[in-house]
Amino acid sequence: MPTYRTASEAETISLGERLARTLPARGVVLLTGSLGAGKTMLAKGIVSGLGAAPADEVSSPTFTLIHEYGGGRVYHVDLYRLEEARELATLGLEELFDRDALVLIEWGERFPQLMPAERTEIRIRTVGDDEREVEVTP
Amino acid sequence: MRILGVESSCDETAAAVVEDGETVLSSVVASQMDTHGKYGGVVPELASREHLRAIVPVVREALERAGTRLDDLAAIAATVGPGLVGSLLVGLTYAKSLSFVRGVPLIAVNHIEGHIHAVVLEAKRAGTPIEFPALALVVSGGHTHLFEVRAGFAYRLLGKTRDDAAGEAFDKVAKLLGFAYPGGPVIDQLAPSGDPGAVRFTFARMKGNTLDFSFSGLKTAVLRWVEARSMEAEIARRRALLRECPHPTAAQWLAVTPAATLGLLASFQRAVIAELLTRAAAAAESIAARSMIVSGGVACNSGLRAAAQSAALPYPVYFPSPGLSTDNAAMIAAAAFPKLARGEFAPLEIAAAASLTLA
Repeated sequence: MPTYRTASEAETISLGERLARTLPARGVVLLTGSLGAGKTMLAKGIVSGLGAAPADEVSSPTFTLIHEYGGGRVYHVDLYRLEEARELATLGLEELFDRDALVLIEWGERFPQLMPAERTEIRIRTVGDDEREVEVTP
Repeated sequence: MRILGVESSCDETAAAVVEDGETVLSSVVASQMDTHGKYGGVVPELASREHLRAIVPVVREALERAGTRLDDLAAIAATVGPGLVGSLLVGLTYAKSLSFVRGVPLIAVNHIEGHIHAVVLEAKRAGTPIEFPALALVVSGGHTHLFEVRAGFAYRLLGKTRDDAAGEAFDKVAKLLGFAYPGGPVIDQLAPSGDPGAVRFTFARMKGNTLDFSFSGLKTAVLRWVEARSMEAEIARRRALLRECPHPTAAQWLAVTPAATLGLLASFQRAVIAELLTRAAAAAESIAARSMIVSGGVACNSGLRAAAQSAALPYPVYFPSPGLSTDNAAMIAAAAFPKLARGEFAPLEIAAAASLTLA
C-alpha cells in the first residue's frame, strides 16, 4: 500500500490534492488519525484537488457535522462528537453514501458497523512535530 | 409591531417576541445542555428529538410571557440555516404551520445574521445605535467569521477560520484535559487562576487572506504539551469528578487542577483572545469601521470582553448581554424587522439550508 511522508501542513494539503486524482468520484474515504494529526488538512487538499472548493474554504465540520462542497460532489463529515451508533440515526449518512459523491469521513472508524465495506482508508500518523506519515489502503 | 422568532438550528429550542426590533417582550430558551453534556457534544439525533419535545411549550410560553396572541403578530420569523437539517426543520416547519394556519407572513432568517442583530437590538434599545460601517466578529462553536456590515444590513465576508472554530478549540482542549462540555465557560472560569505567560504559543504566519483565522495549530500545541507530561492521573481525577457531579463549581475544579495545568488554560485562553482581537481590529481598520460588534457564544468569554475593553480601540465595541450571546430567538425576531420593512417574506416552500452563507 502506498505510503507518503509530509513535513508541513502545506505539504499535507498538496499531498491531498495529488491523492484526489487517485480516488474514485463516488465512494467513501475514511480519514483516520489522532487529534491534531491533520485529517482536516488532508481533506482540504482532496476537496481542492477535485476542484470542489479552494483549500481555504474547507474548515472543520466537528460542530456542524457535515460540510458540502462543489454542489454536492464532495461531503466532509466529522463524527468526533458522537458516542453511540444510535446517535447517527438521523444524520442521513446512508443517504450520502447513495449519492453520486465522494464522502470524506473523520472518526468514522469509531463506528465500523455503519461504514460501507467498500471504502478507501487514509491513515495519518504523527511522526514529529510537523512530520506526518500518510498511508492509503484502497 | 411584534414578531415571533423561532430558533432551533443547534443546541437550543428557543422562541421570543420582539416589538419594533428593539424591545424583547419575552425570550424563552430550552437548553439541551444536560442531554449533550453527557456526550461531550451536540448529538443530532438527540437534538431533533429534544427540539420536537420542546418546540410547542417554548413557543406557547414566549407568547404568554409577552402577553401576545398569534393574531397580534406582524410576522413569524424562523432560522432557515446554517445548522443541522434535522434540527432546523423542527423550528422552521412549526413556524410555517403557524404562518399558514393564522395567515401571518413568514420571514426566513440566517442564524449568523441573527447573532449580529442580537447586538443591533440592544444598542438600539440603549439609545446608542450601531454606527456603520461596522465590523462584526461572530464567534461560536461552529463559526468564526468577520463581516463588514453596511447601513441597511448589507454584508461582506472579510475573513473566517480556515480550520477549527474558536469555540470548537475551547471544547476540544477542555475535553482532552478531562473538563466538562462546553469547554469555553470552564476554561474562562479557571483561566484567572493561572499564569497566562506560563506556556508560549506561537502562531504560524498564514499565506493568503491575513484576516482568516486558524486554531488547529493551537489545539495541536496543547495536545503536544499534554503528551509531553504524564497527566493521565489528574485527567482521570477530573473525569471522575464529572461523573460524580455534572456541574462542578470552580472550587471543585481547582481542587483537581494543578498550577501547571491552570497556566496552560490561562495561556491558551490568552492566545485565542489575541488571535480573535488582532484580526478583528485589523479587519475593522481595513473598512474604516465606526463600531465593532462581537457576538456568538464565545462573546460570553469574560477574558475576551476585558481584552476588548482594555485595547482602547478608536471606536466603540459592542457585546450582547450573556442571554443574547448564545443561541436565542430574540435575535432571530430582531433580524426579521428590516426584512418586514422591506416586505421580504419567505414562501411556505422554503427549505432548511444546512450550509447557508451570509455573504
